[in-house]
Amino acid sequence: MSQSALLSVSNLTVAYETRKGRLKALDGVSFSVSTGETLALVGESGSGKSTIALATMGLLGPEAAISGSISFEGRDLAGLSAEDRRKVRGRDISVVFQDPFTSLNPSLPIGLQVAEPLIQHLGLSRNEAMKRAIAALTEVGLPHPERLLTAYPHQLSGGMQQRVLIATALVCDPTLVVLDEPTTALDVTVEARILDLLDEIRRSRQIGMLFITHNLGVVNRIADRVCVIYAGRIVEIGAKNDVLNAPSHPYTKGLLASLPRLSARDHQQRLAPIGGRFPDLTALPQGCAFAPRCPFAEAKCNEPQPLHPLGDGHAARCWKAEALRQTPWPVPEAPKTIAARAPAMQGELAVRDLSKIYALGGSGGAIRWTRRFGLPWLKIERPILRAVDGVSFAIPAGEVLGLVGESGSGKSTLARLAIRLIEPNGGDVVFNDKSVNKLRGKALKSFRQAVQIIFQNPDSSLNPRRTVGEAIARAVTLHTSVPGKDRHNHVENLMDRVGLPRSYYDRYPHQLSGGEKQRIGIARALATDPVLVVCDEPVSALDVSVQATVLNLLSDLRDQLSLSYLFISHDLSVVAHIADRIAVMYAGKIVEVGSTTAVLEPPYHPYTEALLAAIPLPDPALANRHRTVLKSDVANARADTGCPFHPRCSRKLGTICETVTPPVVEAAPGHNIVCHIPLKDLERVPSVLPPERVTS
Amino acid sequence: MIGYIVQRLFAILVILVVMSMLIFGVTQILPGNVAYVIAGQFATPDVVHAIELKLGLNDPIYVQYWRWASGILRGDLGQSLVMERPVGPIIADALGASAILASCSFVFVATIGITLGVIAAVRQNKAVDHGISIFTYVGISVPEFFWGIVLVIVFARYLDWLPPGGRGDASDSLLTRISYLVLPTATLTFTLIAHVSRMTRSSMIETLRTQYVRNARAKGLPERVVIWRHALRNALLPTITVLAVDIGWLIGGIVVVETVFSYPGLGRLMIYALERHDLPLIQGSILIITAIYCSANLLADLLYAFVNPKIRYGNAVR
Ligand code: SF4
Ligand code: SF4
Repeated sequence: MSQSALLSVSNLTVAYETRKGRLKALDGVSFSVSTGETLALVGESGSGKSTIALATMGLLGPEAAISGSISFEGRDLAGLSAEDRRKVRGRDISVVFQDPFTSLNPSLPIGLQVAEPLIQHLGLSRNEAMKRAIAALTEVGLPHPERLLTAYPHQLSGGMQQRVLIATALVCDPTLVVLDEPTTALDVTVEARILDLLDEIRRSRQIGMLFITHNLGVVNRIADRVCVIYAGRIVEIGAKNDVLNAPSHPYTKGLLASLPRLSARDHQQRLAPIGGRFPDLTALPQGCAFAPRCPFAEAKCNEPQPLHPLGDGHAARCWKAEALRQTPWPVPEAPKTIAARAPAMQGELAVRDLSKIYALGGSGGAIRWTRRFGLPWLKIERPILRAVDGVSFAIPAGEVLGLVGESGSGKSTLARLAIRLIEPNGGDVVFNDKSVNKLRGKALKSFRQAVQIIFQNPDSSLNPRRTVGEAIARAVTLHTSVPGKDRHNHVENLMDRVGLPRSYYDRYPHQLSGGEKQRIGIARALATDPVLVVCDEPVSALDVSVQATVLNLLSDLRDQLSLSYLFISHDLSVVAHIADRIAVMYAGKIVEVGSTTAVLEPPYHPYTEALLAAIPLPDPALANRHRTVLKSDVANARADTGCPFHPRCSRKLGTICETVTPPVVEAAPGHNIVCHIPLKDLERVPSVLPPERVTS
Repeated sequence: MIGYIVQRLFAILVILVVMSMLIFGVTQILPGNVAYVIAGQFATPDVVHAIELKLGLNDPIYVQYWRWASGILRGDLGQSLVMERPVGPIIADALGASAILASCSFVFVATIGITLGVIAAVRQNKAVDHGISIFTYVGISVPEFFWGIVLVIVFARYLDWLPPGGRGDASDSLLTRISYLVLPTATLTFTLIAHVSRMTRSSMIETLRTQYVRNARAKGLPERVVIWRHALRNALLPTITVLAVDIGWLIGGIVVVETVFSYPGLGRLMIYALERHDLPLIQGSILIITAIYCSANLLADLLYAFVNPKIRYGNAVR
């Protein structure tokens, strides 16, 4: 595998002067990428992985102090003048950044944006450049490339935009492509298609890829070798199979252990999170930076740690790596039940036939004369979107219903409808046999106390000038009748419950980590002693290791307080981990609902099958498992008639799917699939999940 | 898009109708008597009464309004009381003069303002940026008439390079006629430029931090292309809105500047008419100014839509 190194980075250190002192974003990083090889750089936020991308491209600002060497095809890039460096960018090394939605210039046509590097670097005429741009757009699998030349970015979906950016990166035939989280902003079914594309391009063009990601499943899908980064240092490096099968650095072990397993049998097992907090990069220790969070730490860990070779190019920055090879990351015990509360009230929430319609913006639509204030008035009839379209489900007391769907499925709208944060256009919400739509005054208030919500982004709901204690106390004052003198006590009890140390009472939000902020959100939701909590993507903004702690907390609270959850996420592994039952949503409709085990195993709705198959799993044995590739890069491409899924369905039967609304098929009691395919055919589909195996 | 324009034109029409009523109403309660204006200060009551009868000044106000408004619909703005000529041609002449002054100033405000803004943004927090910021700040903090007077004293009285005021006439050479424009244009530009350059600066700084600008740099484009092609086009969107607002300021400024430089434009005409209590002329000029203001704003909106492809091309390609 090892041809001459295409890119070789050695001892790269990047530092910034900050008010708190010298911040080391990268500290002595060395690695190399060969022609035709994909090296994945894995790390959580703050690890410095994106700084590596920017440093390789020469795009770090003047305030960054850079040392070490970056040699590319034998030339030291760091020694080049700014002008010569620019000539390498986009021609020999190109980059695809994370967010396709903001990486294309909104005011320039696609054609120009793709052709620009050709005109700039190769001096092609506009016409020739456009011809090559068409070829590049075709290569990345975009339909009608000629029409795209004059289109603007907002007219494309995220997946298509990312294809355009990949085409731009490839257009000058570079030998190295840096990919900085290229699929993180995309939905999982679209991500699967883009990863396939990248893999194919790498094979056909024999280029080197530096692939930066936080997702070990993606690493497994795409990489030859892996480099795990923690706090600006490489902590483990080696061939993908070695690192994923036999993680040797405790941090790598922790990362793998904190991922929820997508498996029918393992579900609801406790996760093994990495405790503690990410270190302060301005005050890194001489020794192992992971020591404060490492369960295996000893005194010797405070000495500087070199990379310990483990054979075959596998190495870990931990003196115990060899000794720990067989030791798994420990799974924490569930905490003792604190003051368990008997369920005070029965709480069954049911929604019946809920619908929500939004008017779409844009300039389409017919012009009509209408009247306003009795006067003739011109009105433009805008198109509408059925965000939620006739959805029904019930959550009995104490149950967790997981709601999974990709962006545009309407799942967040449904969450808001269910607790009456927004008013539906049709249908009803029933709580304890009473219609919520008709509640007024006191009854409405007690409904609002019984049903609470946790949002995705804890930051947006926290006032930066209020301390943790004040933030929680405010929820107590607003929504409960706890008397003033008991409030402080009540807040401290809530903080105990969500695992926030009482010493945090007087801290401000900016002093907390993302996971801790989310705990405040949970504490506030619990202030009213709710019976049901709607969790709207509660862990999506968090790093994997932190995500695991919050998921564990939510499971513990459910057990201790016999709560029900409506748990919403785009991530089926997360939903499958915590939910008793799962509803799969597509384009405003529920297409499959059943117990978690039933949904994870055949018979599947074709969309569920595709969703399950698209999830990248971090098990090397499954790197290239059977996948159903969906059509279209639009996560919730919808149809007005027939089955909403037919524009993307790879099992579509024919015109019946386009014209006739599919029936609800009961696969088993409580397991419903909305599809035209006869049940016995659905049952014949093999499982897309790995066969059960003994996990280390 | 078409529907939008139709909607806007309809709205402008409504505004004009309401404005015409307001203008008419306000001019009715202005102190002074029109008949006296015509007849002269020392006219006998009989003469005044005769004039009142002839002009229908004793009719109910809505009758008078309808007479005036229906006249406008026929293209007749009435007869100037002081100049004893139809209002229409008087306004047309003045409008032409003002339009030249306004468009010159506007072009300078836009080009110089945007350029200064871009330079300030690219050299953010450097000496050049501070220099531009001070220059534009001085311009905006002192009113037009002050700069007008200062410029007249320096360039017309002291250096004697440029005429202190007026417009010249058809017999003058083109260069001479341009020379009349220099000082008023400079005054207007200087006082208006700060809005534009500051807006451009801040939106440019924001744009230079975006992902797509980073992506443009990552493609290896030279900084020149990154700034002028990739960043400026997007940074201009808020600037256009400011330019539209500036049209309002420009109209206000023009009234002052024309008076200072005795420039025979619409602004000076209106002041003149107000001083002389020439009602038809007052009404006509205010109505025209309103109409210009509304259409300028519509134009700015259309320009905004044109520059912003999200509005220009709504539909998705799949
Ligand atoms: S060096 Fe010590 S603290 Fe660091 S990872 Fe190894 S065992 Fe843990
Ligand atoms: S009804 Fe047809 S289009 Fe819809 S999921 Fe079933 S097979 Fe696919």
